[in-house]
Amino acid sequence: MLEFVLMIVLLFLFPFLFVGIINRTKAFWGGRQGASIFQPLYDFIKLFKKGEVISSTTSFIFNIAPSVTFTSIIFAGLLVPLINQKSFLSFEGDFILFAYILALGKFFSLISAMDTGSSFEGMGASREAGFSTLVEPAFFITIASIAALSGNYSFQSLFLIFNNTGELGILIILLSVLVIFMMILVEGCRVPVDDPNTHLELTMIHEVMVLDNSGPDLALINYGSAMKMVIFSALIANMLHPAVFLLIPIIIGTLESTVARFRFSRLFEFIFLMCSVSLVVLALTMIALYENPVGLIK
Amino acid sequence: MKSSLHIPGLIGNINLVIDPLSAFFILIISIMSVLGIVYSIGYIKPYLNKNKSIFSHYLFLIILIISMLLVTVVQNALAFLIVWELMSLSSFFLVIFESEKKEVLSAGINYLITMHVSVLFLIAGFIMLSSTSGSYDFASFEGHVTNIPFILLFIGFGIKAGFVPFHTWLPKAHPAAPSHVSGLMSGIMIKTGIYGILRTLSWIPNPSKDIAYFVLAISVISALFGVLYAIAQHDLKKLLAYHSIENIGIIGMGIGIGMLGLAYDNDLIAILGFSGGILHILNHAIFKQLLFFAAGAVYNKTHTRNIEKLGGLVKSMPATSALFLTGSVAITGLPPLNGFISEFLIYLGLLNGLSIKNSSILIVFVISIAALALVGTMAMLCFTKAYGVVFLGVPRGQKAALVKNDVTKIMLIPMAVLASLTFIIGLFPQYVVKLLMIPVSVFVNTETFIMMDPYITILRTVSLSGLGFIMLFGLIYGLRTLMLRNKRVYNHNTWGCGYHAINNRMQYTASSYADLFLSFFKPFFSVNYGDIFEYYLINPVLKFNKKVIECFYWIQSGNTQQYILYGLIFLIFAIIYTVGTK
Repeated sequence: MLEFVLMIVLLFLFPFLFVGIINRTKAFWGGRQGASIFQPLYDFIKLFKKGEVISSTTSFIFNIAPSVTFTSIIFAGLLVPLINQKSFLSFEGDFILFAYILALGKFFSLISAMDTGSSFEGMGASREAGFSTLVEPAFFITIASIAALSGNYSFQSLFLIFNNTGELGILIILLSVLVIFMMILVEGCRVPVDDPNTHLELTMIHEVMVLDNSGPDLALINYGSAMKMVIFSALIANMLHPAVFLLIPIIIGTLESTVARFRFSRLFEFIFLMCSVSLVVLALTMIALYENPVGLIK
Repeated sequence: MKSSLHIPGLIGNINLVIDPLSAFFILIISIMSVLGIVYSIGYIKPYLNKNKSIFSHYLFLIILIISMLLVTVVQNALAFLIVWELMSLSSFFLVIFESEKKEVLSAGINYLITMHVSVLFLIAGFIMLSSTSGSYDFASFEGHVTNIPFILLFIGFGIKAGFVPFHTWLPKAHPAAPSHVSGLMSGIMIKTGIYGILRTLSWIPNPSKDIAYFVLAISVISALFGVLYAIAQHDLKKLLAYHSIENIGIIGMGIGIGMLGLAYDNDLIAILGFSGGILHILNHAIFKQLLFFAAGAVYNKTHTRNIEKLGGLVKSMPATSALFLTGSVAITGLPPLNGFISEFLIYLGLLNGLSIKNSSILIVFVISIAALALVGTMAMLCFTKAYGVVFLGVPRGQKAALVKNDVTKIMLIPMAVLASLTFIIGLFPQYVVKLLMIPVSVFVNTETFIMMDPYITILRTVSLSGLGFIMLFGLIYGLRTLMLRNKRVYNHNTWGCGYHAINNRMQYTASSYADLFLSFFKPFFSVNYGDIFEYYLINPVLKFNKKVIECFYWIQSGNTQQYILYGLIFLIFAIIYTVGTK
């Protein structure tokens, strides 16, 4: 029961803290005092109470899209293991539903951006669609390799390889963590892929897609993207240690304060690096399975 | 489940058999044909007083439908080739409906020739089979299919189905044909190619690993190239035609996985693969016909297929736009619609394949999983582009701006039926998959179907999560709307970064939307200018053929006396030959 409550708290309240911690870390590196780590929650409440300005070009798509996207992220949260490697829903192939339901949310956020008829938002949609195209294959290669290693075809496979880890197992886990961490940066639109604090529309990816959203819709969008980062962090946290939940926002904050964002032309390199790492995971899995005929896992 | 009818004829007994596989195809063909004909009543209206022979158009439409039905039941190779030819010819006449346009005619002739190349391969394959089995009856072929006749038949049927690199006719013929015909052709006619491949497989009790890998590889390539080229298209119907190639690839992946399951004696993988592939046949028929009908509705109102000239149609054509959106979500394979279910089954087949302890299986299946994921995300890019540019934003041209109202009900109703089918299959997959076991029983031993039970439970969970998703969305959307009540909500121009005189030409276009992703392929090959398979594979072959044939130009002099001489010479040789052999 306690676990259940904790899971709900983690999924629904922790996203605010997650962003709060990132901002606080950035403030620390910038030598500033920084806002309270609860600031994102206050922002959410404030936005949710506001009215909206809606572009006269838009249609019903613009109205429903933020809610669809937010629902898809909550649903993805139900499928992901949150605490003690337990999730609300788990079955064989759950990570496929997870990825596809997130894609449904993305589909609607893309067409919602196209709905405004703005060249900036079209540009953002084009970038988001283009860059995220190659993210999913890397994710699937990683999870499928681990699944092959553990013989379990759900998210649970991520933890089963822990039961009997050799040196190769540790390497596979670390590289998978790297893939998922890079995924957080791409999907969460953080530096070096995208800068959430940029003020120039021409250089934005995610932010420029939601230029015309305001009020409750914007609140849902911000909350949703924070929740998405928590969900991906949950994958890493359950593979390594629960403390990672606090560590990842600090790492992201540090990264944002120390690394400059990449040029657009180099972003494909970043995403290809991610695909390459996932292929290394696959190669290591093959070595683990076939050089050692007994297998790492019985 | 078999009923047969014997027709004594010139070529022996022709068996007409309806087995579970034929029954499945008959079901799809019947539903889709009825919807297509209802839709055509509305679509054909603008052509009624334009000196067009509507009578012959419908005559060929009926012939096409009957010949498709016959293709699925005729169980004799020679009779099969006759009805197959009938199907190709009738669809050729349907494609050249607007034959006064030059590009329509050339697309039609391209289609006609390609189909005859396909028949050539089929004839060769069937002759090889019948020479070993001693009969043209399909039942006698069982166990005689070795690798070479299989490859011949696969190429023959693959040309019809549109597997890469035999797909080049598809992106030409579909845009040229009227929309109800493109819907029928893409929805069901190209599936007769898949039917042929499945029928051939049913004669192979234990497929060899080589051909199973061959089918899987060619399918993965088809899926990837189909969607890649679709992204670069600006012609709405051409875009959909390339998506047919992609979906044929996904169907082929299911079949390939099923074959690998049989080859490795793993029935679970075989069941999952075949059921995913066969379900995708139905699913693709539903959403592709829906999309072609919606594209036809857009063409009907705007008279252009160039998406760069469209935009903002969601306001003038709300029903069509909602239906196109349903089709787009379904074809992208997103839950809770039907496309997800078949892709999910294929994924499950691939995942279970990882349990076969074999390094080549591991690498092939993991790469296939990644390829399927890539195809899904690329399809998302393509359909957000198509939907966003055609229906959203503001009109990019006069033609789109002048549209006042939606198409008539008679065109909307068939689309609405198709759209509701995508929801029914997507939300209640467990019942559909249970029924699907009937056609799958042609390939896999029915005793092993009990292994599917846990997957039915999983599908029930998927079904519940689909319903849950819709309810949760209702809740969140309701909450958001509730919060906005009594608040100031007003309309304003789209934010233009301080610039106020925004006009329709400042919108993002389809080319710019796709450019970022396509730019990545630039170092390898250009996606924007034509098909690389056509340039590097099909055209050189055609050029070579032309060269060879040119050597024989002197035979064709146009002089009647000379032709009679040829006949005479042939007769003399024939007489000498028969006398000599006796």
